[in-house]
Amino acid sequence: MITTSATSKSLVTLNNIKKVFFTDDVETHALNEINLSINKGEYLSITGPSGCGKSTLLSLLGLLDTSTAGTYQLAGHEASDLSRDERAKIRNKEIGFIFQAFNLISDLSVAENVELPLTYRSDITKSQRAEMVKDALEKVDMQHRANHFPSQLSGGQQQRVAVARAIAGNPSIILADEPTGNLDSKNAQVVMSLLDRLHDQGATICMVTHDPRSAARAGRTIEVFDGKIVSDQLTEKSQAVVL
Amino acid sequence: MSVSLDIKYAARLLAKKPAFTALTVLIVAIGLGLTLYTYSLLNSLVFTPLTLNNDKPIYAVEAQYDYTHLSRRPADPFDLYKLKNELNLLEDLGVYQEGTTFVGGAGANTAIRKFNSTYVSWNIFEFAGVQPILGRGFSPEDHFEGAEPSVVLSYEVFQNYFRGDESVVGTMVPLDAEPNRIIGVMPEGFAFPAIAEIWQPLPQVSVAATERSYNGVFGFARLADGVTLSQLRTEMDAYSTELSTRLDEDMNWRINTDGKYLSAEPFKKAAITQYYSMFMAMFVVVFLILLLACINVGNLLLARVNQRFKEIAIRVAMGVPRKRLILQMLWESIFICSIGGLLALLLAAWGLEISNQVFDQTYAVDNLKPFWWHVQIEANGIFLLISAVVAMIFITGYIPAWRALSGDFNAVLRDGTRGAIGKKAAQASKVLVISEIFLSCVVLMMASILLSTSYSAGIADYGVETENRLTAQLQLPPVSFGIRRDTEFEHADRLKRSAFYYALKDELESQPNIQAVAMMTELPGRGEGTSYYEIEGREAPVYNENPYSNNEGVAKDSWRALGMRIIQGRDFDHRDIGEGVLSIIINESIAKEFFPDGDAIGQRVRRANPGNKGEWNTIMGVVSDTFHGSTMRSSSTSYNSYHIMDNWGLFRVNMAMHYTGLQVEAEKTLLQAVDKVNTDVGVYHIQSYDNLIKQPMMLVVAVSKVFLLCGIIAAFLAASGIYAVASNSISQRTQEIGVRRALGSSDAGIMRLFMLQASQQLAIGLTIGIGLSIWLVNFMSETMIINDLSYVLGMLGVPLLIIFMVLLATFIPTKKVVLMEPSEALHHD
Repeated sequence: MITTSATSKSLVTLNNIKKVFFTDDVETHALNEINLSINKGEYLSITGPSGCGKSTLLSLLGLLDTSTAGTYQLAGHEASDLSRDERAKIRNKEIGFIFQAFNLISDLSVAENVELPLTYRSDITKSQRAEMVKDALEKVDMQHRANHFPSQLSGGQQQRVAVARAIAGNPSIILADEPTGNLDSKNAQVVMSLLDRLHDQGATICMVTHDPRSAARAGRTIEVFDGKIVSDQLTEKSQAVVL
Repeated sequence: MSVSLDIKYAARLLAKKPAFTALTVLIVAIGLGLTLYTYSLLNSLVFTPLTLNNDKPIYAVEAQYDYTHLSRRPADPFDLYKLKNELNLLEDLGVYQEGTTFVGGAGANTAIRKFNSTYVSWNIFEFAGVQPILGRGFSPEDHFEGAEPSVVLSYEVFQNYFRGDESVVGTMVPLDAEPNRIIGVMPEGFAFPAIAEIWQPLPQVSVAATERSYNGVFGFARLADGVTLSQLRTEMDAYSTELSTRLDEDMNWRINTDGKYLSAEPFKKAAITQYYSMFMAMFVVVFLILLLACINVGNLLLARVNQRFKEIAIRVAMGVPRKRLILQMLWESIFICSIGGLLALLLAAWGLEISNQVFDQTYAVDNLKPFWWHVQIEANGIFLLISAVVAMIFITGYIPAWRALSGDFNAVLRDGTRGAIGKKAAQASKVLVISEIFLSCVVLMMASILLSTSYSAGIADYGVETENRLTAQLQLPPVSFGIRRDTEFEHADRLKRSAFYYALKDELESQPNIQAVAMMTELPGRGEGTSYYEIEGREAPVYNENPYSNNEGVAKDSWRALGMRIIQGRDFDHRDIGEGVLSIIINESIAKEFFPDGDAIGQRVRRANPGNKGEWNTIMGVVSDTFHGSTMRSSSTSYNSYHIMDNWGLFRVNMAMHYTGLQVEAEKTLLQAVDKVNTDVGVYHIQSYDNLIKQPMMLVVAVSKVFLLCGIIAAFLAASGIYAVASNSISQRTQEIGVRRALGSSDAGIMRLFMLQASQQLAIGLTIGIGLSIWLVNFMSETMIINDLSYVLGMLGVPLLIIFMVLLATFIPTKKVVLMEPSEALHHD
């Protein structure tokens, strides 16, 4: 079993994480004995075949689901035993999500979608929110579409808005679940470049992907198979940076 | 072949979910059944014009309806015939008066029986296009003064009273103790104009009036070719306006305060004027229930489409033509609505059968049911049902078909989820919820207000004791109790009539099982009306700004039989009898309101009519309060005043007797006493006091029961519909909730957001619903009192109930989604 050890720079630490789904009489072991550490500023890709558990792992990392066993620390917080609202607070402050299906809310405009996670925070004023939304949209080059609705945007544009929403609150980590899965190659390239740029600016990114080319852009790739991490290695890009 | 596959598939889907299928079919059956029932009811009672054996509809031509006393008013025959002869608007006109006649007795070898007699113009049978099956109809000569009195029998009287003996035609029979010749027998079921059991000719003065008179008749007419009803009404208004400028003062009571006099209405509608607004309100409510049912079924099918979205996406991927997909969506609706339609037919037929029983029961005592009041499903009802089924198929099928066609199938196939709800779908969901709220609001409000009002009327305190009280009507034979008007004998003739009533009262009160007897023009619980009175020294400048009361004639010593009591002053006695003696007793409410210092006794009041004033009457006593008329009618009043009836010499009175022992024994005692005092006097409508009070309200109570049914159905449809629509709407937003939670919203934050959105929908739905309800209630309140409690219950209770239902229907499914892990919500299928 390949394990990664937690260091003082660890942003995320998973210890012996298990996830079992119960459906009628059937027990499905989605994740088994997962030990993983992600350092601040790291760009990690998670790969593996369909049904291997990589999206489940990302859900656990994003506090979107709870593990059946094991412990999880995120940004110094013990996340395993948090209440639902405490987990919501951490998701809001520390995590930015990018989904394969964009998951923008159709009733809200582009600016309102980006502003949405910020509205859940009481420590940010309205004017600060407006500034943060503007910055985030500028970063993804979508400020000119601020008042449009998602249905008026192309898939690539929607995903750029989703990226803006993920980074608007300056989260500790960005979790991306197949961010280019619903995009054509040109738009996929734009989104991946955006993630590269964010990483270059210091963002910690954890991305689930099927696409080896996307995975190769990360500094570190872990491979999941049958609910276990079977490989954890630095990519050529990372090695090049180290060299 | 492909269609048969679709049919099989739709049938299999419905069979697979029997509970869902049964629920949707039930909702359709209820919605359509109620609609068909109400339409058939109103079709028979109002919508289908009365034509008899002619293509042209018959119209009632008479004076304007009296909304104060809730009664139809006859017109001067002079005016009706003038309208016919000079304005050429009417093709044909006949006139009639309704009354009761005692047949038999007076030495004839038959028992006395009371029948509804209609006094008619000779042309009635020609007008109706129906000829006697035996003998002849009337001729113009039958109206002439000195002509032999004649009568035409209905088939029912001929069969039941004369036992079908054809030899009676041509013989003489006593009518109100006066011999009349039976000249004909009409076919079975013929009772035109409405409730006739026998027909007698009107006097010449009523069918060939040469001058204006106090006579009053009702008219039946057909319009001349090319003349419309509105044209006739316009001409009538012009005639009334012109007439009002030159009518003598003693005749201007014919003209209403608004300057109107004559009216023309479809014949059937005229017969139910006082219930018309209630029936129309019922129709609106039932139509809204049908809409509610449509929305509920459409929503249930929509929810199913949402569940089947992936299957639809696969079909689209495989190239299903758009039309085929819509058709496939429609098949389920076709099955559900067709089966529901068949059940609706059975439900409506059953309801109508019950209604016929209610009508028979309502009019069992006085046989006053108009002959067309037999409700059944007719061809146009079936046509309506088929049209409604087709419309329902499209309404309930279109919503899911539209949803099926508006989805992002690519996303569904790619993600394996339904995909986020589109903006249009979200708006459609909101519209569905708001529609459900406003429809529920209107239906529940109307049902609760009507129910509460009719219940209040049922338990209302009329101020009289009704237990062990038997009521009846007495009618004197006109020949032996005639009044020689404008002669020196007039007052004596009147006293002779009163003497009979007192002799009967004495005879009854001497019986061991009779405690006391009351006689009145109308007993408390019946009657109703408003007459304006001036109080001496306090006369209002305009007559209708004076106090008003219902006014009745009463026999001496009547109060104790009714459980009423003299509170101040004295009862009527011999001092109040005599020409020019004018005494009055007022009730406690009038005394408290207008004589708060307790100084009513000795004060004088007089009747204030438009244009003329009565004589001054001295208040002799104050009697305890009673309520004349139903508490449900706007013309009913708790202000009552009484005159002694002796001076009036009444042709007909109502009596109530307080008895001990069995009612049947009391009835026997009454009949024996009448027979003993005067065998020619008719006694009829013998019934308990409770029944007397209930009788006029039976139709309203029956309609209220339909409203109760509507209310229960509406509550069921509203509760289930609001929950289903809200639940479906929230279910479609599961992924949105997942996104919001992924972005850090707290559970409470999401609950707050959804409850707030539900509150906004509530505000819109309730505003529309309450507004429409107020309009409908105002419409109904023209003819009935909506009591305060009912108003509060309806206008406050129903919105509160709906607020509770909507918030609960939002809270439960939202909580369910919120309790999911965000990852589960994000991938919710």
